[in-house]
Amino acid sequence: MGLEKLKTVLKNPLSGNSLELKTPIIGASGTYGYNSEFEDFIDLNCLGAIATKGITIEKRFGNSGERLFEVENGLINRIGLENIGIKRFIEEKLPVLREKKIDFLLNIAGSTEKDYEILASIASDNNIKALEVNVSCPNVKQGCLEFGLNPESLFRLIKLVRKNYQGFLIVKLSPNTTDIKPLATAVEKAGADCISAINTVRGLGVKIDYLGNKFIKKCTSGGLSGPCVKPVALYMASEIKRVAKIPLIAIGGISTLRDLFEFIYVGADAFQIGTANFINPGICSMLVNQLNDFMEKNNFSNLEELKKAIKE
Amino acid sequence: MDTKNYKGTIESIEKIALDTYKLTISSDLKKCYPGQFISILCPNKTLRRPFSICGFDKKNITVLFKLKGLGTSYIASLQKGDKIDFLAPLGNGFELDNKKALLVGAGIGAAPMFFLKQELDKKKIDNFFISGFKTDKEVIKGADKTFVGGSVLDDIEKIINEKNIEIIYACGPVVVLKKISEIALNHNIIAQLALEKVMACSIGVCRGCVIKLMKKQEIVTASVCKDGPVFLGSEIIWD
Repeated sequence: MGLEKLKTVLKNPLSGNSLELKTPIIGASGTYGYNSEFEDFIDLNCLGAIATKGITIEKRFGNSGERLFEVENGLINRIGLENIGIKRFIEEKLPVLREKKIDFLLNIAGSTEKDYEILASIASDNNIKALEVNVSCPNVKQGCLEFGLNPESLFRLIKLVRKNYQGFLIVKLSPNTTDIKPLATAVEKAGADCISAINTVRGLGVKIDYLGNKFIKKCTSGGLSGPCVKPVALYMASEIKRVAKIPLIAIGGISTLRDLFEFIYVGADAFQIGTANFINPGICSMLVNQLNDFMEKNNFSNLEELKKAIKE
Repeated sequence: MDTKNYKGTIESIEKIALDTYKLTISSDLKKCYPGQFISILCPNKTLRRPFSICGFDKKNITVLFKLKGLGTSYIASLQKGDKIDFLAPLGNGFELDNKKALLVGAGIGAAPMFFLKQELDKKKIDNFFISGFKTDKEVIKGADKTFVGGSVLDDIEKIINEKNIEIIYACGPVVVLKKISEIALNHNIIAQLALEKVMACSIGVCRGCVIKLMKKQEIVTASVCKDGPVFLGSEIIWD
């Protein structure tokens, strides 16, 4: 069965820049590897794209110590942007993406404005079609979230990236703010083509056991993801859509067809699947098929029709 | 080797020691090696649960597990004939060397050693398997020698010398593996150690179970789930 119905065009109405996706389902950054890691489980060509692991200029080891803390219906991580660095990405991972014709968003992160500027130029030089700028990782000491929570510095940063990169520019926003609207407005004004939201929610996992007359404590602070963050993501998506005209890729606790409908209702144009990939590595293709089957069965000829019907 | 998501059927589940169960699953899995693991879906938990493979006979795969929380309680509640969802085979197992081997399994870490012993025996490689448990009730039978109460390491130096051991394969808590790594270095023999860590994806993408290794005088990161779980003791940088 073809997936023509699921063709998704993310179009910036302000600039006319657009990105065409085969389907609206995208593997989220940090959960989908660099290129073909999931090919044992699914046909990667049914995805709209994969968002690569966040790439910095230099290779990073990430955080020491325990990096995961499981909570009810969720997961706290403090990976700390471990990655191979842009040089190795371009040399080793990009050729595989191209050879296997895997559509992707290059996710970039940095400690300084200069880092983002250099990464944007490298993406441009390598004809990378879509860039996802990470200004929302809560697990690194420097950069990233520092830019992502202040509308003025975010505007300056995205303007700089825009100047150095002409492809489709997506900015991934953090939910760790009292009001996400000024951030959405800032990135749109700075020339971004699309917003993806949300990154993980700051959280603290605490485990206390009583053993041998002593309390044994374990605390892990990091970014919370999984089904438990879905209401936060829905709220943030609806807030973003109150002010932004550019398209929205929704992220946050998505794992079922019903979740897709809920995010469409609040204004999503495409979806990223994150933590759910860890539980079911075939989830992205399952959602593609379920969405396609639903539309087939209920006579929706394209996603715009479906979106309209849900929002009516 | 292709890793797949299998839907298996439980052939048997039996309690073999205090809070310890032996689970046998039939599935289409065709191949796996000692030291590799499977990751079982527990619908009541966010993450899957990883278990070392304890035995494999082309139709059935066996794992051992200890009750730790809701995930393992769910698995223990399953019965013969129930379906079970697992990813397999995962990780890189032990590299079987034609050297006189000492197998060390501490606690539930004994699980992969049964599979390894079976393969070494098939290849007629001389081996000696020691296991250690905190109490009598926890003993999983089947090792050549079992230590109860003390440490599995108490007699290890003596065994290495008496039996002219040339390689050690081990699985257990970090504190035990670290000690074994030191002992192996002192005796100038190789130690292949199977590590355990909390995992999220089981396939190397999330970087949640990463350790540091020293390879060719360079520090590198490695995921326990994909690059491991078996590593050379001499390369591990212990926290």
